[in-house]
Amino acid sequence: MNPSHEFLNHFTRRQFFSGAGLALGGLAFNLLAPRLRAAKGPDALNARVHPPLAGFPHFAPKAKRIIYLHMNGGPSQLDTFDYKPKLQEYFDVELPDSIRQGQRITTMTSGQSRFPVAPSIFPFKQYGQSGAWVSDLLPWTAKVVDELAIVRSVHTNAINHDPACTFLMTGSEIPGKASIGSWISYGLGSDNNDLPAFVVLTPRFSPKVAAQALFTRMWSSGFLPTTHNGVALRAGADPVLFLENPNGVDPMTRRTMLDALNQFNQRAHARHGDPETLTRIAQYEMAFRMQTSVPDLTDFSGESAATLDMYGPDVKTPGSFAASCLLARRLAERNVRVVQINHRGWDQHGTLPEHLKIQCLDTDRGCYALIADLKQRGLLDDTLVVWAGEFGRTVYSQGTLTKTNYGRDHHPRCFTVWLAGGGVKGGVVYGETDDFSYNIVRDPVSLHDLNATLLHCLGIDHLRFTHRAQGLDQRLTGVEPAKVVKAILA
Amino acid sequence: MSFRRLAVVASLLPAALSAADKVTYNEHIRPILSANCFACHGVDASHRKAKLRLDTFEGATAEREGVRAVVPGDPQKSELWHRIVSPHEDEVMPPPDSHKAPLKPEQRDLVRRWIEQGAVYQKHWAFEAIARPEPPSPAGGASDHPIDRFVGQKLAAAKLQLSPEASRETLVRRLTLDLTGLPPTVAEVDAFLQDRAPGAYDRLVDRLLASPRYGEHFGRHWLDAVRYADTHGLHLDNVRHIWPYRDWVVRAFNRNLAYDQFTIEQLAGDLLPEPDTEQLIASGYNRNHLTTAEGGAIEAEAEMRNTADRVDTTSAVWMGLTANCASCHDHKFDPLTQREYYAMGAIFKGLADRVWDGNVRLPGPIVTIAEDPKLQARIHQVTREVTPLERALTARVEALIAGGKTVAKAAKTPVAYEVIFAEDSDLVAVSDFRAPPAAGEWRTGADVPVAGGKRALRLEGRAERKFNFTAEDVRLTVPTEVRAFVHFQPDAVRPPRAVSVEFVSKEKTRRMIWGDRTAFGPEVAATALYGGPLPAAGAYARLELSACDGGVAEGKAYTGVRVAQSDGAGWWDRAGAAIKSPSEADDPLLSSAAWSRPLRTAARDNFELPIRHDIKFLLGLSGNQQNEEEKARLERYHRDYINVRFRPDVEPELHAVRRLMSEQTYHELTYPSTLIARERDEPLPAHVLVRGQYDKPGEKVEPATPSFLPPAARSGARLSRLDFARWLVDPQHPLTARVTVNRYWQQLLGAGLVRTPGDFGVQGEMPTHPELLDWLASEFVRTGWDVKRLVRLVVTSRTYRQDSVTPPALLERDPENRLLARGPRLRLDAEVLRDQALALSGLLNPAIGGPPVRPYQPANIWEPVAFGGSNTKTYVQDKGAALYRRSVYTFWKRTAPAPAMATFDAPARETFCVGRARSNTPLQALALMNDVQQFEAARALAERLLLRTSSDGERLKLAFRTVTARAPDGVELKLLADTLSTHRAHYAGHTEAASQVIANGESKPSATLPVAEFAAWTMVANLLLNLDETIVRN
Repeated sequence: MNPSHEFLNHFTRRQFFSGAGLALGGLAFNLLAPRLRAAKGPDALNARVHPPLAGFPHFAPKAKRIIYLHMNGGPSQLDTFDYKPKLQEYFDVELPDSIRQGQRITTMTSGQSRFPVAPSIFPFKQYGQSGAWVSDLLPWTAKVVDELAIVRSVHTNAINHDPACTFLMTGSEIPGKASIGSWISYGLGSDNNDLPAFVVLTPRFSPKVAAQALFTRMWSSGFLPTTHNGVALRAGADPVLFLENPNGVDPMTRRTMLDALNQFNQRAHARHGDPETLTRIAQYEMAFRMQTSVPDLTDFSGESAATLDMYGPDVKTPGSFAASCLLARRLAERNVRVVQINHRGWDQHGTLPEHLKIQCLDTDRGCYALIADLKQRGLLDDTLVVWAGEFGRTVYSQGTLTKTNYGRDHHPRCFTVWLAGGGVKGGVVYGETDDFSYNIVRDPVSLHDLNATLLHCLGIDHLRFTHRAQGLDQRLTGVEPAKVVKAILA
Repeated sequence: MSFRRLAVVASLLPAALSAADKVTYNEHIRPILSANCFACHGVDASHRKAKLRLDTFEGATAEREGVRAVVPGDPQKSELWHRIVSPHEDEVMPPPDSHKAPLKPEQRDLVRRWIEQGAVYQKHWAFEAIARPEPPSPAGGASDHPIDRFVGQKLAAAKLQLSPEASRETLVRRLTLDLTGLPPTVAEVDAFLQDRAPGAYDRLVDRLLASPRYGEHFGRHWLDAVRYADTHGLHLDNVRHIWPYRDWVVRAFNRNLAYDQFTIEQLAGDLLPEPDTEQLIASGYNRNHLTTAEGGAIEAEAEMRNTADRVDTTSAVWMGLTANCASCHDHKFDPLTQREYYAMGAIFKGLADRVWDGNVRLPGPIVTIAEDPKLQARIHQVTREVTPLERALTARVEALIAGGKTVAKAAKTPVAYEVIFAEDSDLVAVSDFRAPPAAGEWRTGADVPVAGGKRALRLEGRAERKFNFTAEDVRLTVPTEVRAFVHFQPDAVRPPRAVSVEFVSKEKTRRMIWGDRTAFGPEVAATALYGGPLPAAGAYARLELSACDGGVAEGKAYTGVRVAQSDGAGWWDRAGAAIKSPSEADDPLLSSAAWSRPLRTAARDNFELPIRHDIKFLLGLSGNQQNEEEKARLERYHRDYINVRFRPDVEPELHAVRRLMSEQTYHELTYPSTLIARERDEPLPAHVLVRGQYDKPGEKVEPATPSFLPPAARSGARLSRLDFARWLVDPQHPLTARVTVNRYWQQLLGAGLVRTPGDFGVQGEMPTHPELLDWLASEFVRTGWDVKRLVRLVVTSRTYRQDSVTPPALLERDPENRLLARGPRLRLDAEVLRDQALALSGLLNPAIGGPPVRPYQPANIWEPVAFGGSNTKTYVQDKGAALYRRSVYTFWKRTAPAPAMATFDAPARETFCVGRARSNTPLQALALMNDVQQFEAARALAERLLLRTSSDGERLKLAFRTVTARAPDGVELKLLADTLSTHRAHYAGHTEAASQVIANGESKPSATLPVAEFAAWTMVANLLLNLDETIVRN
């Protein structure tokens, strides 16, 4: 980006606060609005606290917001979407050298004496009008397969979790860059004055599976202004950090304090002329509004039985994946720009059949319900949904291979990602891997390509979306060429 | 990395030059060419288009196919000019496919005039030697302070003036916060207000610079730069034990260690001649990078990352260079080649630490630190002396092997054998050092009867005496059968009443008693087994107890045998166990695999595991991370120290080395240790990595400094880390002093003279006051890199002491305060906000240094993100005084930093950070209103106010002065009083809520105050701690 954009952004915001009063709503609105309305007119009250960068979006977007379902650990493409019927003949056969081509593998299996092929034990069927193949592990997702663009040819550079997650979310394996959610928040701003632009959910996962770590850098603003950090909503009483008043302080008492604070701060502004003081007044008011809007957000009591039923019984458990999906829909309704759900436990080095089943049971219905629910409300048209792990898994077994059990190591050379909703063509299967799901044979999609495509759906040209930091015009999609995957766009 | 770059203000753009002004390359042209042309026509030869380079005069003016890009004096003959103004898509530069906008008219105009004026190139300003410009004569309202003379000159040129000096109340608060990170007390404010003698301000500066709080505050800024944290940062993100380095930094600032020495000791303290412990601790700088031990990680890749992190951080922090740009190709903008980047990396390739952290808290090399100099000397002595003894033991074992002693590989076959836990023990186990046996208990000599070896244990006295014979560095469980034994003979004259033997175990054990079965009391007697009468004097009897009888069932863990004696005197010797195992291969005393397996996770999790750090590290590594040498070392450890097949034959050597090794381990477990640097015997080879890929090593490179900077003096054949450190602080180095003074300027005035503190290269910003920067840099070097002197110089200037009031006209004219016509108003940093609340409320615990503390943190910050096996998965909050330490001591987990810090722009410390952002968000408002740490501080402040007998008005005045340092005016006082009365009325009717208000936090509220009143004042204090004026420094 041209640095002057940032300046304008900065300046517009300051000017807005110094020239046009404060943006208020909720309870604060009720308490303070009449005075302001009289003074400044109603327009000021509708203005956005957090506008987009000048010139954004670059073109008319198909999607206004994005929900990113991150399956952390690396789901096996071979047992979910990348159907390889021929593999059954290769059970326990050594992976041919012509396929492996001496590619690097992790040090967890590089010492193995054999690389026996482990075909999936899960049957696949074709679904929907598109006839896409989906394994029996994902019966609910299969119901909405015609909404999905299934990309089977995504590849990444990183072969281990930490760098791979960092790469998936920030476009670089090295910590310190901005996450995709922060980039989007930075570029497009927020359409909601009462909630953060970028919300992160970390649902529970089965204690039976081995879970890899998450890192706040996956939703960190990196070199972008820290306002664009993802805000992690937690399951439970205090979904936003420090949201709740201390014990014994009720909303009216807080209001009393805030009224006095505003008067002091307005005097401070009059005395010092610092525009940041006006921003601060507005931020305290937004904080106050969040104390109402966030509990309202997380209160499912208004949801119909039919809706709750779509998400399944888990939806009643706060912090479950299903509950997180419903929360994501409610956030989408409220125009929150980015929702990232990080579901952990997809690292099946061993006991894959049993553990992958647990993972799918945990998430399958939520994914389905999210798509179906967004669709029934007309929100799917302008909400982009992505489902992605940080890499795929190997066709050869890690550890002992039997007819009923196997494990799979990390595989960066191909894995499956699906997209749905705003800007995406449903019922598409894109890209192809070889018979071993080891190498991509058609239409490779790098993570940079994927990110370029996501930004495109949101009306952003990834090449023009830059931010100067440490001497470079930084870009989410890096410096190597990246392309928008047009074939999956509506 | 997260420094927010502010844009250039239109009114200050070079385009505002009048047509007659001289256009200069550094100020006007290079920024344009660098941003638009150099990516394809710059330093990087491999990506150069059309073989044209525009970053040198020779390149730009060379004739190529009859065309010259630049013809000095003649724009019309210059291809460059035609290309930047061309309306044709296939001609215009920059080309459309570069996604760069065409040049703006004023930029084109500058290029045209520059060519007209002769197209004079200049070396990039920051790479030129530091000049020492003479301060201009005072102007623009400036005093004759050199800083003001430079600032005043620019102000006068812009027809501006310095703002008036800030009020004394503002100054004392500003200075105290800036120099110590804490607010002044009311008494300190009063003292300054009352000191009307000349030099009062200087005296204040002196007092604050002498405060130990100064080092904590300035040290904290440095810790951001060097990315200090208490975890490794990647994957498991386990605890890293390097806080003594943090304390060293604090001490270094407090004792005003000169910046050149500060640099040398951190980069290469270990290489100084006979380094002292402090210098070794300082070398921990080299160990602050992120590390991993992720299971599948590839060594070459991890090694590349570690080295890159070191080079990038060192380059940015000392030189303001964006070196990483040269990791894949030559730097596009600065004259740093890819080869030079890897040559700098080669400097760090001699470091002895392994690429992996092993997920342990002390991956070597380390130093263990004692405050007592004698003890410190002992620690160093033990470290020195143990190595030859280890070698001697190994040599002895190998001699035995050479002599024909063989041990078959442990097989899955049953086995029966005896192990001796103690033969000649006097101080051998780590626990012996923790609780040493009474002097003289282990005896040797002609009159000492022994059952084996040379020593025996003499116990005597009326009271019950106990003694443990244990095996500490092996996890023992009962296989098929264990019969513990110990040899005992009573004193012929004064035999004990009774003796007993039992297992040391967490199980519910039973003793076996010989002699008077009631001697150990009725409780013991009720459960004890009876072995028979006391053995006869004159010879050793073997006392035995089976695990089964002793209460340790098959499969349960035990660590040894405990003997006890009641009354009289007796000799004890040769304790051990006879063991029957179903499988040799599964027995830790026979098989190294069986030994290491249960210790693997223990090495990562159990900080108290009594095994020396280097062995713990080897255990922490997964099998495929151990190299051959490490595998062999671990095998050797088992063979020489654990394997019972060898132990009987090497008792003297084993005893000698165990004695020191256990003492060393005891030191490590008892005193702080920290990661340090050490040089390996043979440095790792360094290569240019083709396109920055770890698996594509190219040309081999030797350590070297970049050629565009002055040459480095070399002390040996190879440029050492020490040579490199000395080169950084060579007075001829054009960058180090500039970058450093700029960072201190930024710290004190909110923004640097160069506003890109991590980039002094071509893409960085030009200094707003180039001559001032150079003068400060030269002054800094001239005065011996004296940091406190530099700070004093800056804060005594009128420029620093200006009022921060911002008239609207000035805001419009210079919104970013680049001309310095006013003082900056800055939101306090995360740590300062927390520390201020603690200080104002009187809760602050002023202890300096020590292990990191875990203050309040909302639930579920670590847990939802951490790896299941991480030892930083569960946050266990501290209790009591640890909750109120300064924030610099808060435990820093990189992958999930403390919300009270991160919410206010503290970096994650995953990468170097040479300047923080100052955001302004609703989450900050929530934190300041509701964080229990903040609210408890409000409560404590209210309590302080209420415990003084005084009127409301006096209390409110005092409260306001406490937080802002100034007296409230009438309106403010009334506003406070009204708010107080509203809260009072509310809590008078809601005493239950009032009780809850004052119960927030873990410190105990005063029980003597009326709760409603207390709660109302707590809310007023909460208001005061949230004032814009409180969370900002004016």
